Amino acid sequence: MNILVCFSVVPELEMMFAEDWVVDADLHIDVGFLKCGLNCFDESALETALKFRDAAEQRQRPTCLSALTIAGSEADPVARSLLALRFDRVVRIDPPTDMRFHPFAAATLISRYVARHAAQDVVMMGWQSGIGQNAQTPLLTAEMLGWPCITQVTGAAPAHRRHLAVASRTDDGRLEQTVQAPCLLSVANAPHSCLRVPTLKDRMRHGKRPIETMAFQDIDTAAEPIALCALHVIRRTRNGVCIEGDGPEEKAKALYHDYLKQRLAPL
Amino acid sequence: MIFKVILNACSARAAEQAAELNAFMGSHLSSDGHEGGTVLFAPVQAPTGEILKMAPTASATLVRVARYQPENFLAALQTLEGGSDTELYLFPSGHAGSEMAVRWAFRQKGSSLVQVQAIKPDPEGLTAAKAVYADHVTGTFRLRRKPYCISPARGGAGRRTPAAGGTQIDAEYDLTGLAADAFVKKVREQPETAVPKLETARFVVVGGMGMGGREKAARLQHIAAALGAEFGVSRPAAMNAWAALDKLVGVSGTMTSADVCIAAGVSGAAALYAGIENCGFIAAINTDPRAPIVKGADAAVIDDCNAVMEALFKLVEQKERDR
Repeated sequence: MNILVCFSVVPELEMMFAEDWVVDADLHIDVGFLKCGLNCFDESALETALKFRDAAEQRQRPTCLSALTIAGSEADPVARSLLALRFDRVVRIDPPTDMRFHPFAAATLISRYVARHAAQDVVMMGWQSGIGQNAQTPLLTAEMLGWPCITQVTGAAPAHRRHLAVASRTDDGRLEQTVQAPCLLSVANAPHSCLRVPTLKDRMRHGKRPIETMAFQDIDTAAEPIALCALHVIRRTRNGVCIEGDGPEEKAKALYHDYLKQRLAPL
Repeated sequence: MIFKVILNACSARAAEQAAELNAFMGSHLSSDGHEGGTVLFAPVQAPTGEILKMAPTASATLVRVARYQPENFLAALQTLEGGSDTELYLFPSGHAGSEMAVRWAFRQKGSSLVQVQAIKPDPEGLTAAKAVYADHVTGTFRLRRKPYCISPARGGAGRRTPAAGGTQIDAEYDLTGLAADAFVKKVREQPETAVPKLETARFVVVGGMGMGGREKAARLQHIAAALGAEFGVSRPAAMNAWAALDKLVGVSGTMTSADVCIAAGVSGAAALYAGIENCGFIAAINTDPRAPIVKGADAAVIDDCNAVMEALFKLVEQKERDR
């Protein structure tokens, strides 16, 4: 089975101090100084795909894993790790524009790659990423490919030929389905899905293969159905009164008597 | 603006979602010049009167379906609404509402936005606001193409207004035989009938990575229960399997609007904070005085969260014994 996992590398926004959040006239926020890491939901998608391959290999079923990102060279360290983890191909598409709020353009690039360059049975990706928070890219990609989409996926395993067993969450609980490929899996809070670390041996043996790069020039962002008009930094502050005391017991006592006791009494 | 509300009465959470949508409409579509109806998707066995009560508009179209399945719902909507003059579709918050909004907009060559906090119709069409940059920033977007498909952000129990209810069913369709889900060969649903207690609890304790490990998280859960609080965790703690995923608090988990929240060992990442910001009173316990949760709390204790919670537990236990 051919599986493509799309991933994005995002700045670690929690490292920003309150004063760093400044919106400029072009509706940009400087996050260039931050360390980048895998988008947490894409990380779960990548590990889910690796687990799928482990299970398929136990059944002597070949699985071809590819990974795709729309990013600059900041994604290369992650891309090299994926090669070391025996992803068969890792492809980086140069972003044709500022992709922060362009889920339609991202979905167009992914679906074009699948349609023109590498036929796939399954596409997996995290349900949303940190900056755009659009929660649209997987859904739009599925629509553009004309594939069904399973959302809030928490696990996937091989079933019989061209079928897979997919676990997901819904508004009402859990869902286990056996589905026929092709399909798109939008991965959410998958348990135990931190991406495994490649061994030094695997890094040496597999991690030095080239990252394939591509560019698509004809992406028209004016076709994006939504356009950003404004950004306003959210300032979430309350009193922030610090409770003083010598040691945790005394502080707990002050917290209880001065703040909690009266509030908890009617509950 | 001509609008349609799409409700999924196959979900046990339909009434809450309807009340949330009704509150959203009350805040953003209350001025004159808007007219609309409701499309109610419901399983065969659901009583018509009960379902109609959820409708935020007087008239509704009732569609009987086998279960919630997005491909079938989209096919059903195409049958009912394909080529209609509806300008705005309002879908519920939650996973189903979000996926339907995006996919329906694509199929109708419209535009969509999900997790929306506010909409504003204007002569040019519609603008909508939602959280971006991991909930640190609000982005305002212009939706360029009609129909506009919107799914609001989940707001917790505090942002719900039960609708007055519909008065008439304009039309009823039986679309239980739809088979757009033919790619699904086997399906097993495991419903969780109860609304997560975290969502409706009046007192919550939310633990983060500052707890320091799975055993300490288990201890904090025990203390929370002894104090009469529901226990939740941040996403990193849940991903480290320190607690079950249904304990996750924040934008990708439960949004709580408890009266009292103790945030123990959480840094105050915006995605977590968005899940507790509607709480009446927030107490933070953290070793780092510069952690964002300290500024986001009403009161803060700078110390080890496990030690402070143990002390709080002993204090409350003693009070109980003295009674």
